[in-house]
Amino acid sequence: MRAPEIFRTTSFHIAAASAGVFALGVLLLFAFVYWQTAARETGTVDRFVERQVARFAAAQPGELIRDLTLSEVRQEQHIAYAALFDGTGHPIAGNLGALPPDFPVDGHAHGATLAEDRLVRAAAAKLSDGRVVFIARDVAELNQLQRIVRRALLLGAIPALLLALAAGALLSWRELRRVRVVHRSVARILQGNLSERLPARNAADDFDRLAIAVNRMLDEIERLLEEIRGVGDNIAHDLRTPLTRVRARLERIRDAPRSDKELEEAIDVAVSGLDQTIGIITALLRIAEIEGGNRRAAFGEIDLARIVHDVAELYGPIAENAGIELAVAAEPRRIKGDRDLLFEAVANVLDNALKFAPRNSRIDLAVIDGPEGPIVRVRDRGPGIPPEERQQVLKRFYRADKSRTLPGSGLGLGVVSAVMALHRFRIAIGDAQPGCRFDLICAPFPAD
Amino acid sequence: MPSSAKILLIEDDAETCAEIAGALGERGYAVQDQATGTGGLDAARHGQFDLLIVDRMLPELDGLAVIETLRAEQVRTPVLVLSALSAVDDRIRGLKAGGDDYLTKPFAIGELAARIEALLRRPVETRATALHVGPLSLDLIDRKARRGERVIDLLPREFKLLEYLMRRPDQVVTRDMMLEDVWNYRFLPQTNLVDVHIGKLRRKIDAPGETPLIRGVRGAGFVLVSGTEDSRPPADR
Repeated sequence: MRAPEIFRTTSFHIAAASAGVFALGVLLLFAFVYWQTAARETGTVDRFVERQVARFAAAQPGELIRDLTLSEVRQEQHIAYAALFDGTGHPIAGNLGALPPDFPVDGHAHGATLAEDRLVRAAAAKLSDGRVVFIARDVAELNQLQRIVRRALLLGAIPALLLALAAGALLSWRELRRVRVVHRSVARILQGNLSERLPARNAADDFDRLAIAVNRMLDEIERLLEEIRGVGDNIAHDLRTPLTRVRARLERIRDAPRSDKELEEAIDVAVSGLDQTIGIITALLRIAEIEGGNRRAAFGEIDLARIVHDVAELYGPIAENAGIELAVAAEPRRIKGDRDLLFEAVANVLDNALKFAPRNSRIDLAVIDGPEGPIVRVRDRGPGIPPEERQQVLKRFYRADKSRTLPGSGLGLGVVSAVMALHRFRIAIGDAQPGCRFDLICAPFPAD
Repeated sequence: MPSSAKILLIEDDAETCAEIAGALGERGYAVQDQATGTGGLDAARHGQFDLLIVDRMLPELDGLAVIETLRAEQVRTPVLVLSALSAVDDRIRGLKAGGDDYLTKPFAIGELAARIEALLRRPVETRATALHVGPLSLDLIDRKARRGERVIDLLPREFKLLEYLMRRPDQVVTRDMMLEDVWNYRFLPQTNLVDVHIGKLRRKIDAPGETPLIRGVRGAGFVLVSGTEDSRPPADR
């Protein structure tokens, strides 16, 4: 493993940062412990010597000298030094030759350094006859305690820091290993192996969640690519059929020249075949444009009834020619959307119904109120759409086999689907028994 | 047909250019072509043209930039924009830049010719209160249509359609033009809607035995003829 790489990993950064915070915390804790032990212990000692000094000061002179002289008493009381001096500072009794220089005689505890560099806390008090009593207690133990605390800090915190960094490095190394696996998977995906997935354990840590999300994205990409492949096949089929016809016709007429009229006819067939392919390409581009969603900016307030009446008016003569009664029932209903696209959607649904409706039947075109919002409903008395085909018909290029021979790009309902998706409206296909019920379920106008 | 109108064609694809120029030449137009935006701009500034046909994407200077520059220089020659881009936005941008019409590739030559004719004939007279074409008369105030003395009973949209044709007598109008201008919807019908409407209008205008006035023009659309003589281009009906 290359050292620089591990230092660049996120988990190492996190480990280093937490080690730093940990170190600071330990430092603060030890400072607190240190301060507590030193201050508290000093306080205890101070109160002790002050009490002792006061006690000696209040004692009978004889008793005082005896107690000061007896080492047992000193030992028993953990007193290092006890002494009595006269008014001029000459020792009278005890185990100290002279008061430390400038030692305040006020009954309060003070720090002092005595012979052989012994650190003590001591207090001195003046008796009523002018003599001075001095009591000192060794604080060497306290100093030792402080030394222990300091050593504990060094011995405890430094290994802890190292341990944290080591743990960070270990985690980073594991993460790096997983990143490498992911890298290899991604490389394979980039090489075209789209069924490859990122490894995800079920631990559901961040990394796994990320891997699962990426895998879901890959699923979707794979599905879309499959769909494109399918659409590609359909395009190939739908474009190839008229192109093959055109080609065959042109070749035949070239090989055996005939009359001008026949020549003209062949050219007409060729042109209409090409028009059909152009129509398919245009419709595909149009769906792509609608799905691109740029048109949302152009949404305005529109009246569904107006659209329905316009569509009915446009298609009226066609229905008439086919002997179909077109019954329209629409009251004004405001929605927000793109007028041209919704017109096209309703027109395509009606166009579709007209293609499948039997002669002398009736098609109902209506705007009704549904629980979600206004609905444009087109109902025919044709063969209907079997439930298993209802999702399929909305896809690009889908055409029931029986309708393969009908004119049109096969993209009419694909356009409807794209327009509805752009508006975030919904399509519902139902059985009208007999016939098909096609609902364009719109959202009510936002302000309503 | 206003022949010998001078047209400048700015199109970078040599083959497309030759096809369009050839087809327009056959129709009697004098076509000059340029292959780049800068060359086209220069030619448009100095030549006296009746119409410019400008491809959207050109080398050196974009087609829209050419139009914008000309319009900024007060050159008001009508412009037809050609484009392989079909998105609505592209069309709007083309018209905003100063184009008068927009045609998406690939197109039928008939469609191109009809639109060129429409642009060359502009503006359509709009102040008249009555229109007369051959035996047809249209009273725009009373909303009445007559052929000779016979009153023709028309639905509102049929009236509008006939008015549209009568404002453009002897001029080929395409299905797309009618959908855009008479119905005001831009969309791709899955059925030959316009033909059905024209068919219905024809049946009302032409009583049995009368000369058909609306004729189909193959590969293009329809034309309302003003004269009764049969000198129109090949009709398919």
